[in-house]
Amino acid sequence: MTVRRILIYTPIVVVIFLLQSYLWVPTYEEQSKGNPNRLNEYITASIGDAHVLNPVLSSDSASSQIENMVFEGLIDRDEDLNFRGRLATSWEIFEEAFFYINEEAEIPGVGRARAGEVVELLNKARAEDLPVTPQIKVSLGHIKEISTIPARNFTVTRIENKEKTNKRGKEIRIQVRAPARIKLVLDHVDQDLFQNLEVILGGDYFRSFDALSYVEVEGDIGRLKKEAYARQVLPPTEHNPIILFQLRPNVKFHDGHIFDANDVKFTYEALMNPKNLSPRVSNYEPVKEVEVVDPLTVRITYKRLYSLALSTWGMGILPEHILNDEALRKEAIELGKDPNKFSMRQSRFNRNPIGCGPFVFREWKSDQYIILDRFDEYWEGPPNYKRYIYRIIPDLLTQEMEFYAGTVDSYGVQPHQVERLKDDPQYQSFSGPSFGYTYIGYNMRRKPFDDRRVRTALSMAIDVDKIIKYVLYGQGERITGPFVKQTDYYNHSIKPIPYDPDGALRLLEEAGWRRSEKGWLEKDGKRFEFTLITNSGNDLRKAVLAIAQDGWRQIGIDVRTDLLEWAVFIQERVDKADFDALVLGWSMGIEPDLYEVFHSSQTNPDQLNFVGSKNEEADDLIIKVRREYNHEKQVEYCHRLHEIIATEQPYTFLYVAKWTAVLDKKIVIKETDPEGKVVYKKITPTKTGTYTFHFNKWIKLPEVPSFALEG
Amino acid sequence: MVSFIGRSIIQKIVTLFFVSVVSFLIIHLAPGEPSQVDPLNPKFTPEMVERFRQEFHLDKPLYIQYLYFYHDLFTGRTTSWKDNQSVLTKIWERFLNSLPLFIVGTILTWTLSFPIGIRSALFRGGAYDRGATFFSYLLISIPGFFFAYILIIFVVTRFHVPVIGMQTFGIGDATLPNLIMDRIWHLLIPSVLGATAGIAVLSRYVRSQMLEVEGQDYVRTAKAKGLPPDQVHYKHALRNALLPFVTMFGLILPGLIGGSVIIESIFSWPGMGRMAYEAILARDYPIILTVNFVSAILVLAGTFVSDVLYMVVDPRIRL
Repeated sequence: MTVRRILIYTPIVVVIFLLQSYLWVPTYEEQSKGNPNRLNEYITASIGDAHVLNPVLSSDSASSQIENMVFEGLIDRDEDLNFRGRLATSWEIFEEAFFYINEEAEIPGVGRARAGEVVELLNKARAEDLPVTPQIKVSLGHIKEISTIPARNFTVTRIENKEKTNKRGKEIRIQVRAPARIKLVLDHVDQDLFQNLEVILGGDYFRSFDALSYVEVEGDIGRLKKEAYARQVLPPTEHNPIILFQLRPNVKFHDGHIFDANDVKFTYEALMNPKNLSPRVSNYEPVKEVEVVDPLTVRITYKRLYSLALSTWGMGILPEHILNDEALRKEAIELGKDPNKFSMRQSRFNRNPIGCGPFVFREWKSDQYIILDRFDEYWEGPPNYKRYIYRIIPDLLTQEMEFYAGTVDSYGVQPHQVERLKDDPQYQSFSGPSFGYTYIGYNMRRKPFDDRRVRTALSMAIDVDKIIKYVLYGQGERITGPFVKQTDYYNHSIKPIPYDPDGALRLLEEAGWRRSEKGWLEKDGKRFEFTLITNSGNDLRKAVLAIAQDGWRQIGIDVRTDLLEWAVFIQERVDKADFDALVLGWSMGIEPDLYEVFHSSQTNPDQLNFVGSKNEEADDLIIKVRREYNHEKQVEYCHRLHEIIATEQPYTFLYVAKWTAVLDKKIVIKETDPEGKVVYKKITPTKTGTYTFHFNKWIKLPEVPSFALEG
Repeated sequence: MVSFIGRSIIQKIVTLFFVSVVSFLIIHLAPGEPSQVDPLNPKFTPEMVERFRQEFHLDKPLYIQYLYFYHDLFTGRTTSWKDNQSVLTKIWERFLNSLPLFIVGTILTWTLSFPIGIRSALFRGGAYDRGATFFSYLLISIPGFFFAYILIIFVVTRFHVPVIGMQTFGIGDATLPNLIMDRIWHLLIPSVLGATAGIAVLSRYVRSQMLEVEGQDYVRTAKAKGLPPDQVHYKHALRNALLPFVTMFGLILPGLIGGSVIIESIFSWPGMGRMAYEAILARDYPIILTVNFVSAILVLAGTFVSDVLYMVVDPRIRL
């Protein structure tokens, strides 16, 4: 019977055909033996795909990982996290400071003074003809040049925004008769300059400067607004820090075009162009002006003191010749789109980037892979690997399986997976503290969290070491404050709060909480109860939730827990500050800026100080850190700030997780010594950076080499 | 027939309109913002969030947004918020990736279910039938992702070959047959996994259909006439038992676009299902809504096809 035969044989044939394909697929060993090119390729796996490959537009970590390969910034951080020149060979930071002559003020010993007299006085002070304190002497010593800008008249127009409507308001013309201004050129940035000059020029020389009397505002807008405008147009004092970059000559973009200062200026302009909707605008908002001095010199002037400025120039530099207005217009016409509406966001560049980094972009298949080839004309010498492949594998377990199958060289290995591979002779594993921490935040607007003793007691009742041991498989460290542990901003003299439930109870008793007969903590007949929340989908946080709940229950606190979907968690709870306590994490940059997260001006809804932490001294220090250009002083402020936050305990600082990585032992560092001999070295994580710091020197060998000098 | 087709098309267009409205509302009522707007990034000022919302028309009333979206969709100008790519091109690329998975899965399901189900029916109550029943229920009840992990771990640790993705990475300049076979190997495991539940369910259907038909008078008559058993089973019984399956064929159409979110994510297969899933996580409304709309069309087209097929195969039915 044919029907029967067909029914039986078709599936058998189909299945056999499918199964025999196994015989054609290379195994782990065959992949590198049968195909020598495989040794020149480095394949890494990631959970998510990149969004746009344009450093000005992207904000996700996958994109930035690729951008770091394709683009090059002016500077970056070396092994010890110090700044190191890349496209810039060197840089200078100095300052121009300005103040208006206050014609009404009485200067001690001089009286009312005009510009000439003030300059004379300052020169006399510099020549040490005046008795001053050492502190003032330092500031005076920084001054290299004093000049006068004569009085002048000018008009500015401001557009008054009507509140709550986005329509453009009416224009306001402001007539200004600016008095003479003194310009000081300093060789260092000095945030105390004006404070120190005020001692010489008299108590409130700057503060009493009455800007309003030099300004005439048209129209009736009320005195308060007028004053605000006057202060804006004629600020009594102004700091203009300046960074002067010397650029590296003869650096090529991947298309052969030579990099120069115009590319830097263009990158800045692209960032600030409102059409591009760059998510990094706030980093560059303090920039006043970027000037091209000559093709290899850029001068960046800032509107105000902003000590984080230098680090922002690690951003990848875009090629001007491909993305300037003219090129974009051409591209729009080619694609048949309206040139007036066409912006960098629509450009093909975002999926075919060109930079001057060590790798050239080759191909991108969404949700599959991104392929980069090495750039043979890279200024620092081409990398050893010929090809870099970024695979997108959304599942962590299958990433591990691909690693075993040999089609991935590295992946986002989890602590429990490291545990599995630690003793395998085929692999080498690394770990180190990452840039971020997990914490429990308390809503300090609510009772009883407004009491520092209660917060400290809550911290004491959680056994963090156990969390690190059992939840993180030892891949974590304790942390006591909001700075990156491997930087010197972190104050290592602060000891973590010990696990001490009895001590916690004593502290709570001090705050008025006593245990009832049933064992619950009570105060004025009310039980200590609250809800601890976090977002769903993060197993580590969920585990922390359970451990914290257990720890607090043991000392008699009635804690409930709740998991919320991320969007609900953020919009309904965090943004509206509607929670008792929550488990969350921050990832940090190296720069010690705590303004958004801990400054008391940031406690409103939708802002990031959602726990409502307020402390005057901390506020002052946060601002000072932002303005201080001297590293030692910054460190000093940060240590004090760390101390305040650790005693205030707005958060229970739990741990900083470690990043982990596993590689085949055949991957090593290959270097050529001065005599031209090839030397192989083991890959070791840098003191403070990551294990991929020397990636350009990596290569995979057919066999594990014997290292000549082990140590 | 013509009037039926006309009526049914009009009905389906009305349904489609309601689907478009409801899905639009549901997505906009769900909390969360597009992933470009990151509320926990300290560098994101409220002005920037506002600018993004304007760019995506999120500040307009819902009905205007609805008009904007469907206007763009029908003129083919919808672009994904995530990467500014045209949504239709993206869907087409993904569709081509999902297609082989779908085809191999369907072939496996439909070729394997019939012999298994028929044999169960013919030897009802025997050891084979019981075994088949047991395995069917096992496969139906086992969660797909769990089965997938077990299978992947087994294959990788035992045979040391890659199974994830659409091809072996870094295979280099292999010969053409090698490359083709490599792709087929990568198709095998995900499509087997996609097919298991289908085989389990479909073979049950085949079994019960066969049993029902085998009990009919005309089958008894055929047996009584002294026809060889093979002819009774495969000609008289099977043909009649096949009728309901013809209509099921129309209903697999929507599976084309839905794909399998779980299988595609686990195997990092760049297909439709995975794209839709990731779009939902990133609140990429244009993609979610377009996929939704296309799959609604496919569901409606599927039911339409199966109605028509039924009429064609079984002349007794008049709609």
